[in-house]
Amino acid sequence: MDLYEYQARELLEEQGIPTPRAVYAGSVEHVADAAETIGFPLVVKGQAKIGHRGQAGAVKLAADLDDAVAMARDIMPMTIHGHRVNGVLLAEAKNVLHEYYVSISVDRSSRDFDVLATANGGTEVEEIAREHPESVRRLHIDALEDFDLEAATQMAESIGFYHADVDQAARILLKMWRCFKDNDATLVEINPLAKVGDPDDEDSKELVALDAKISLDDNAAFRHDGWARFRDPVVADALEREAKDNGLHYVHLDGEVGVIGNGAGLVMSSLDAVAYAGEDQGSGVKAANFLDIGGGASASVMAKSLELVLRDPKVESVLINVYGGITSCQTVAEGVLEAVAALGVDKPIVIRFDGNAAAEGLATLEKASLDNIHVARTMEDAASLAAQYAADAIAANAASAARREEDEQ
Amino acid sequence: MTAFIEDDAPVIVQGMTGHQGMTHTARMLKARTNIVGGVNPRKAGTTVPFEDADGNTVEIPVFATVQEAKDATGAQASVVFVPPKFAKGAVVEAVEAKMPVVVVITEGIPVADSAYFVELALENGVRIVGPNCPGLMTLPSGEDSHGVNLGIIPDGIVSRGPLGLVSKSGTLTYQMMEELSDIGFTACLGAGGDPIVGTTLQEALEAFEADDDTKAVVMIGEIGGNAEQDAAQWAAAHMTKPVVAYIAGFTAPEGKQMGHAGAIVSGGKGTAQDKKEALEAAGIPVGKSPKAAADIMRGLLADL
Repeated sequence: MDLYEYQARELLEEQGIPTPRAVYAGSVEHVADAAETIGFPLVVKGQAKIGHRGQAGAVKLAADLDDAVAMARDIMPMTIHGHRVNGVLLAEAKNVLHEYYVSISVDRSSRDFDVLATANGGTEVEEIAREHPESVRRLHIDALEDFDLEAATQMAESIGFYHADVDQAARILLKMWRCFKDNDATLVEINPLAKVGDPDDEDSKELVALDAKISLDDNAAFRHDGWARFRDPVVADALEREAKDNGLHYVHLDGEVGVIGNGAGLVMSSLDAVAYAGEDQGSGVKAANFLDIGGGASASVMAKSLELVLRDPKVESVLINVYGGITSCQTVAEGVLEAVAALGVDKPIVIRFDGNAAAEGLATLEKASLDNIHVARTMEDAASLAAQYAADAIAANAASAARREEDEQ
Repeated sequence: MTAFIEDDAPVIVQGMTGHQGMTHTARMLKARTNIVGGVNPRKAGTTVPFEDADGNTVEIPVFATVQEAKDATGAQASVVFVPPKFAKGAVVEAVEAKMPVVVVITEGIPVADSAYFVELALENGVRIVGPNCPGLMTLPSGEDSHGVNLGIIPDGIVSRGPLGLVSKSGTLTYQMMEELSDIGFTACLGAGGDPIVGTTLQEALEAFEADDDTKAVVMIGEIGGNAEQDAAQWAAAHMTKPVVAYIAGFTAPEGKQMGHAGAIVSGGKGTAQDKKEALEAAGIPVGKSPKAAADIMRGLLADL
């Protein structure tokens, strides 16, 4: 789960990492009060779970209250690369002398934790790595060894922090590590970790986290009260939320063929097969969703899955691809028939069964002899048939819309 | 001898007395896996009746600790069906008892816990398979012996043959086994769909390369991380046996987790296309579907 900047700041502050004074405003009405607490000039920062917010025009410097309110009004309704803005953070403007980048993340290849840092912070790390690869330092924190101030100091030196900043940087690195560990994060990124202050007054200079990105491990939610305090008020997708509440792995996509299967890999493979079939047939139809019913699914889980998938109005046909391991194809067949009867489904459903109780499942479907239930022998055949049905339905819809238009004229 | 574990190796089950543990211990026994004990400190000293492959009742003893179970039975592997909350403790216990092979089926373990026990296992010379995987299945190398089925892979799809299989996904493992059931396997290993796993795709290739009976390897990958690229790089330099791959998730969108904790394309990294290119650059052909990959493998075997 990704956090908003204002939430990430909270976690950094809990560890004592310096951040500029800032107040979150969830709506335009709250901007005036929040701004008065901070004073001017201040930075108005749109809160969205995506980078490049500055380039998208969602981060602006306000000179006075009118400015701040006008900017908040512009920024609040924005959607940045598909991510809706959820409020603004009003932050004290700082005089930035230098920008560093530091992140700690899970390293999947070396199976430990990765510290990535550069003295050339400010922009996205991918860009820094492209433009100044020599400046990017990569260090590891072993999963078994503790990371202490001595190790952090060595790391701060090797990262290339300027001499005057090493001690403070080491303390921040250590606190970042604690933030990462205590919160079961998969990423803690401070960018920029800025040196701010009056250039002529050494005592005023300090390192401050001007922006932060934190991702938390969903698997660890059980030991953090289910991350209740970070529950996102922006409902990403009503179907995705409902699926989650029902313990189903559902991802809403934008195609026309609903896809249900058992096992994440098999479902992903089915999405690909549908897209290839759409390409081959020249219709360009694609999968409308990813839905994994998991292992050993009951008939009611199957029925609920079918109901969810069909609630997407773009869905014109459904592909059900099951390789029964623990899952029984017979149980799946019962669930399909249950849902079809309860919902009065008339859209075409193409089913491919293999493995555990496949013969029984197919016999059950055959016995029901429903016009809209079709059986295919292989995953490729099933995907191809489902794509064809969806394309036919789209063509039929277009034809009837055209007829209606003619009738009206 | 076979890759990963010997035929008829004695096996214990951690979490045997739970619902999952009971169901799958019964299945593993039916598949003629030599299950010799379970671990549950609260039920230590009792036995649990199961039916074996011949329909006879066997009483499987429950031990308080892995160490005790290992000392009493000579177990060479443990299968872990413990819920996520208690999985770290269970796996650490198995590693500290120096259980040679620990297969972790549990899905939903925090990655920090996996990072810890995987590192501990590497330091102790213990092979962890998983977590979040269907397990490890070996086929018997001799007529009088039996393979081991550690986990939830369905029995009876395949028999012994010259192929090795490693996969990040459960059901695609079964699908591929079925596609190549006419040829057969030495071992099928579910590496797991989590960001950090005990046996990576590369480490599975290393084991198959070292196993004389394995003549070629099928590898199934999916979006997320760099395991396929790492395996490709290693294979290009060290692998003498042919490898054929299949990758799932070419049409998966950026930033969306596709079921498995590790199956996510982020910051443009971990795409199926990147993996395909890395594999092909290493001379490893990539099938467009599981069936296409199986057909490529069949062609390669004909030329061996």
